[in-house]
Amino acid sequence: MTQEQENLSAFVDGEYQGDDSALVSALKQDTELQDKWRRYHTIRDGLRGELPADSSIDIANSIAAAIADEPAIVAPKRRLRDLPVVGSVIPLVKQSGQFLVAASVAAVAILGVQNYNTTPEIDEPLMTAPPIAGRPQGGLAPVSLEQTRPVERTDMATLLEQRRQINALIADHERQLQLKQAQMQDSTAQEQAAEQDQQPE
Amino acid sequence: MLNLSLRFKAAATLMLAAVLFSPLCVAQEPEGDVDSPEAAVEKLSGAQWLLKMSQAVSQTNYQMSLVEQRPGSDTVPYLWRHGVFENGITMEQLSMLNGPGKEFIRVNRQVSVFEPNVAPFSLSGRIIDGPFPSDLLLNPLDLQSAYTFIAIGRGRVSGRAAQQIRIVSRDNSRYAYQLWVDEETGMPLKMNMLDQSGQLIKQIQVTQFTTSAEPHEFFSRINHEALPTITAVPLSYHQHNWQIAYMPIGMTEVKRNTHRLSVTDQVVEYAMLSDGMVEVSVYVMPISASGPQNNVYRHESKTLLNRTEGGMQISVIGEIPPQTANKIATSLVARVE
Repeated sequence: MTQEQENLSAFVDGEYQGDDSALVSALKQDTELQDKWRRYHTIRDGLRGELPADSSIDIANSIAAAIADEPAIVAPKRRLRDLPVVGSVIPLVKQSGQFLVAASVAAVAILGVQNYNTTPEIDEPLMTAPPIAGRPQGGLAPVSLEQTRPVERTDMATLLEQRRQINALIADHERQLQLKQAQMQDSTAQEQAAEQDQQPE
Repeated sequence: MLNLSLRFKAAATLMLAAVLFSPLCVAQEPEGDVDSPEAAVEKLSGAQWLLKMSQAVSQTNYQMSLVEQRPGSDTVPYLWRHGVFENGITMEQLSMLNGPGKEFIRVNRQVSVFEPNVAPFSLSGRIIDGPFPSDLLLNPLDLQSAYTFIAIGRGRVSGRAAQQIRIVSRDNSRYAYQLWVDEETGMPLKMNMLDQSGQLIKQIQVTQFTTSAEPHEFFSRINHEALPTITAVPLSYHQHNWQIAYMPIGMTEVKRNTHRLSVTDQVVEYAMLSDGMVEVSVYVMPISASGPQNNVYRHESKTLLNRTEGGMQISVIGEIPPQTANKIATSLVARVE
């Protein structure tokens, strides 16, 4: 048992030298070991300051429950292992949390085509990621219905006017950033010049 | 592709190889002595790694290709070169490689900007404001009033042995960063910006880099006479009758003025807050009939929050979480004389 714990600890740290698959299958059998696995990860994340602000500890179980509850008429029931990668499941849950947080601040709309719901693949190394056929790249991503849901479809002109003002603000923010760079560095340069002047005396 | 041979002693190469290809040489390594390759690497704190990075960025000759990626938008590739000459002159070039392009060339403290449809101009600056926050590259230790640096350990990035440093705001009111620094040279290799649930919102990844003894020959082709002269940017300051009561720890007001928005021509009262890693713009203007109501928007990695109060509209924009933007917007109070 202690050997198992040691192996598990090494595995969590990515330093396990033995047979990964044997350990993983042991892990699948043993719920006690699974709990340990989760705790080790939580501890490690805590030490690194990586714990999310809303640390709802047991994400995996809530996903499993949510999937089991999914009505079969809307979509066929999918078991966890049918999903392509577990890694792509977790962000979905986190994102819905994100929406709730934002919604509690004010009514939310997401601007333009920047879609935060379709990009769980971003963790992949960029230099090796080939363009995937059939998936729109970059700025060509279509606006999905989901994004526009929070905006009431009342007055199109109002909506456009709002968007115009938002764009104006964003453009101005960018411009101020560029100007700030020059101004701030100017003033630090002056300060440093002043310091150097004083030093010889 | 990578210039590994430079300034690399044979022993160091062996050590690096042992780390990178550990499965191949497990047999040669004595059992229970797994820590020995680690011990050979300097054990530095997060702040020390950042200091090493800032020295490397300003004191060595290098050329790197890097990409900046935000979820849902196109990847932006850059070429970044830096050269140090015998007479103490430093030159830097940053070039956007996609689309019509935009190019920055810095000679000492003069940064010239070349972009299509705009006459070239120069600004004064100690570094080109590229994908990495310039204060992080110039004065990382100054950021410690707002952020803590945690050394996480080593990893492998862009084919190199790297050290990961986590940059977390002291009051957890801003996005967190993961930064990977090349173990040998100290150069930055990768940076992630993460929101509060650990979701990636911006990533900078170096895809290739070379250091060299001599500056790149590109710099010898720069015609110094042809660079535009520095445009004076007036430091205007206007006092407004409002002030910001809440600012995240380490954030200060760096600018305040009144100007027109270039798109709508609307006059706005403006203040900028900065903590060195991110800048936040605060706008106050009269409410318009069809203007934005109380909404939070997200544009790329930026949050835009609109709030109306007493006939005025307050807008907060920046790479900060919506909660923090809301705290700033609701903290605006009338200025006490």
